[in-house]
Amino acid sequence: MVGRQVPSMAEEKTSDPWPELRDLPMGRRVELQDGRGQSYVGTVVSRHGFLGERILQLKLSNGYNVGIRVDPGATFRLLPDSPRQVREEPGPQRREPPSLGASWVALLTTGGTIASRVDYETGGVRPVKGEAEILAFYPELERGGPVRIIPVFDRLSEDLRPADWVTLGEHVVGAFREGATGVVIAHGTDTLGFTAAALSFLLVDLPGPVVLVGAQRSPDRPSSDGPSNLQAAVLVAREARLGEVVVVMHEGPSDTQFAIHRGTWVRKMHSSRRDAFESRNGPELGEVDADRVTLGPLARPATAGPAHLDGPIDDRAALLWFYPGLSPVHARAISLDVRGLVIAGTGLGHIASSHLEWIREATARGVTVAMTTQCLGGRADPFVYATGRDLVSAGVVYLDDLLPETAYTKMVWALGHATTREAVAELLQTPRAGEFLERHAGVRGR
Amino acid sequence: MKAGLEIHQQLATGKLFCACPAELSEDVAVSFGRRLRAAEGEDRAVDAAASLQAARGLLYRYEVVPSSCLVEMDDEPPHPLNADALETALLVALLLEARPVDEVEVMRKIVVDGSTTSGFQRTALVATGGHIDVRGRTHRIETVCLEEDAARRIGESPDGVTYRLDRLGISLIEIATAPDITSGVEAREVAEEIGALLRATGRVRRGIGTIREDVNVSTEGGRRTEIKGVQELRKIQEYVEREVGRQRVLLSLRDELLRRGASVPSGSQREMTDLFREVRSGPLSEVRRSGAVVLVLPLLGFAGLLKSPPGTEERLGRELAAQARAVGLGGILHSDELPGHGVSEAVVRKLRQALGVGDADAFVLVVGPSREPAEAAVERVAARARAALEGVPEETRDPLPDGSTRYSRPLPGRDRMYPETDVPPIPVSGERLDMLRRDLPEHPSARRERIIRQYTLPLEVVRQLEGLEDVEEFEALVQRGHAPGAVARLLTQDAPAAMAQTPEARPFSLDILDMVLAAAESGKFAKEGIPAVLGALAAGATSVEAAIGRAGLSSGPVEDLDAVVDRIVRANAKLVHERGEAALSPLMGDVMREVRGRRDGKEVADSLRRSIARLRAETATPPP
Repeated sequence: MVGRQVPSMAEEKTSDPWPELRDLPMGRRVELQDGRGQSYVGTVVSRHGFLGERILQLKLSNGYNVGIRVDPGATFRLLPDSPRQVREEPGPQRREPPSLGASWVALLTTGGTIASRVDYETGGVRPVKGEAEILAFYPELERGGPVRIIPVFDRLSEDLRPADWVTLGEHVVGAFREGATGVVIAHGTDTLGFTAAALSFLLVDLPGPVVLVGAQRSPDRPSSDGPSNLQAAVLVAREARLGEVVVVMHEGPSDTQFAIHRGTWVRKMHSSRRDAFESRNGPELGEVDADRVTLGPLARPATAGPAHLDGPIDDRAALLWFYPGLSPVHARAISLDVRGLVIAGTGLGHIASSHLEWIREATARGVTVAMTTQCLGGRADPFVYATGRDLVSAGVVYLDDLLPETAYTKMVWALGHATTREAVAELLQTPRAGEFLERHAGVRGR
Repeated sequence: MKAGLEIHQQLATGKLFCACPAELSEDVAVSFGRRLRAAEGEDRAVDAAASLQAARGLLYRYEVVPSSCLVEMDDEPPHPLNADALETALLVALLLEARPVDEVEVMRKIVVDGSTTSGFQRTALVATGGHIDVRGRTHRIETVCLEEDAARRIGESPDGVTYRLDRLGISLIEIATAPDITSGVEAREVAEEIGALLRATGRVRRGIGTIREDVNVSTEGGRRTEIKGVQELRKIQEYVEREVGRQRVLLSLRDELLRRGASVPSGSQREMTDLFREVRSGPLSEVRRSGAVVLVLPLLGFAGLLKSPPGTEERLGRELAAQARAVGLGGILHSDELPGHGVSEAVVRKLRQALGVGDADAFVLVVGPSREPAEAAVERVAARARAALEGVPEETRDPLPDGSTRYSRPLPGRDRMYPETDVPPIPVSGERLDMLRRDLPEHPSARRERIIRQYTLPLEVVRQLEGLEDVEEFEALVQRGHAPGAVARLLTQDAPAAMAQTPEARPFSLDILDMVLAAAESGKFAKEGIPAVLGALAAGATSVEAAIGRAGLSSGPVEDLDAVVDRIVRANAKLVHERGEAALSPLMGDVMREVRGRRDGKEVADSLRRSIARLRAETATPPP
């Protein structure tokens, strides 16, 4: 049936029409008599996973999609119209690379959707890909100078792994070597904070900013925060005299103000708000307001370069969130499979005393066990309560005001740079990317 | 002519995709600014209506009220579709005998004027088909949809528009009729009938702004125009009739223009700023002070056709001016109103000479703060003048309070919709529909028949009660033991009259009306006093007793009516002697002055009749 040339006049079906209707390709036009006195003319649109039994989804001529149950007594005829697919953009996929000498920004893409195109006939949403198409979609990106788009991955951020941090870092270094003024990395927001922290430890001697950016609201809606975030990120990459890894996202609900967060301090603190990203334990490094970039005193300036990647990592590490009832058996099982373990403990950095035994065992085996606080604000401190002192005696390394996720990425990096527990512990506690802050201001805010 | 309606009724079920109450608020907590990116169509074709708004790159400000949440801020995905709202829409569909779909699919309809924070309006088609019958004629229903209301427009500035989030997301039912309406009266009656049907569900919001109509009107030879956002049902008739009139004027103008061979040559506008440097009054006086630019557009063969034809208020000049306003200018001046507005006859002569136009031709002056907006306005004015050669252009028009309409924007193209993937589709099972059918509210037409029969009220009184949305109140008061006629009179005449005197007063509660009726029935005052008591209540009396007092009826019933009547009859013995029975009528007035509101007129008449008879009997009998 599918693909067969069908005459314009009726071809009434008498048997159960569902098997044929179910298999019709998207875009096929049909007239359906539902056998209950109503007829519908519409275009078959993409089925989505939630559709019920025997429900045919049609787009009517008024633009609405409706689900119609196809009973065995229903009849249909195909209308003369070819199936319509979501069209691929035919435009040129390559263009001339920016001429040397021009101040250009590299935009690394990692997947997810940086932009989407909607096909109003079928309701299909197709990601915008490729340099030419992305720039055609966001003409304002090149307002201040050329942008070169470098696709790195095509994956959702929850599917990225520590090895991908290294790959990204290599591309960043490559872009700076070719003369980029700054680098923007478009990234899914779910694990954007991890990648930002990891790159902070991996990248050294940056001659310009490395700016991670994402979108909290999908790009298939006119209100997506993606375009304005991306524009602010490109502006920071082009203009800010920054030599570190930062995240640029909405500062509040408005599309006009953006915060510049240090890669090791930033955390996604809300599942859906545009201003989900917050700097914890330290101030924002700066902001973008009405297309003007302002940097605060803590921002680390650009170096003379050249940028390089301080590479090897070892991802035999784990992050363990303690909770009342966490089984020491489960925790121990994890410790058997890793070289380093970061605990997000309660309060000042505590875990139930029933866990002391496996911790002693693990550190004796050479596993680095580090402590952070699941409060996500303030420091871990072993000296206030006996529990903390016992944990230090058991060999646990306290990581002061590092966020658990930042501590985990630093662990992955440190494990690649040292073999003994003591050496790993020393790397963990040594400041490297501005990740520790000695003075937590009494007054909140920048 | 033919017309179709789109009725949008707010539901009292809470918002469609979040848990916020459907309440308006004047309490603004904070505000934020957003930009919308016009999502371009796959075919790159830009919708005419969308481009006019999106091309301007506006910053929209949104005022957040305490009752709004992250869903309205587009900072949280929508919650599942409000089940009560869907049930109400299904009830309405069943009342209309429309056919519900088997699975409701929520769509995103692209709207880039900033009136939604998402850039689209969520909408779902719930049923198709159905009908509503008015005075024996059937009007087909095309669709019954459920959609979210837009944010409330608060104000605008050159670089943006301010909206408030309180209205955004309120559940709306949209009912679209086929273009089966053939007159303005019918348009109003169909709207009223649909309104009554919506209220029959008992789940709609009441009050101004809770129901809005879009009216599509076309006349023979003309094209469709849409009057968008009529808030008062009773005005629909006027809007339709005036629109039909406007279209007829435009059509006859077209005939005249074609007969004259009129034309608007392209690129024929000329800058003539210097001619107006000496103008000292009127809209052109700004030329002297600022860098304003005056462009003049000749309209060949248009002379005398820009002002109103005799006997109508419609004029082409007004339609041309609206085009200049659409790009932000104040309007235009045209040759049919010149000399005048500070422009002398000498200047007009020079103008005609410079343009090379004769007395049969017209021209339009456009004043802009600089060349660019003036050019943009002239282009639009020229396009509109050319459209006059074809008759009625398709467009959306805003209703104005005086019953006329004003150009607002081109008619939007086909809605651009795609699925709202954040909301799963909702199945509508046969069992669910059967359950709703078993408990369907009474159809307004059935209820009308029943009320006429059950309470022996005339049809027009029932229609009045319906128009006032007082049928439920009527039945409730009758159930409390009051006479149907008295209740109907109270609701259709006395209460509206009292409210009209004090427009700011709150509507009477059912309990108050009950107490007023009970007080009259128990003789605390006579039923003639009801309007006065209601008036006192509307004016602020805090109880029925207080209102009786304020109305001057507080002395209670006249203890001895006969004594009062006898006194007055005897004081007028001469009149009685001369006119006999016929004295009743003038004396009635005297007595009523003393006892009005406390005694019933019929009672007074009876007493008078007796007293007159007594007096006449006495005087007729000679003293012994």
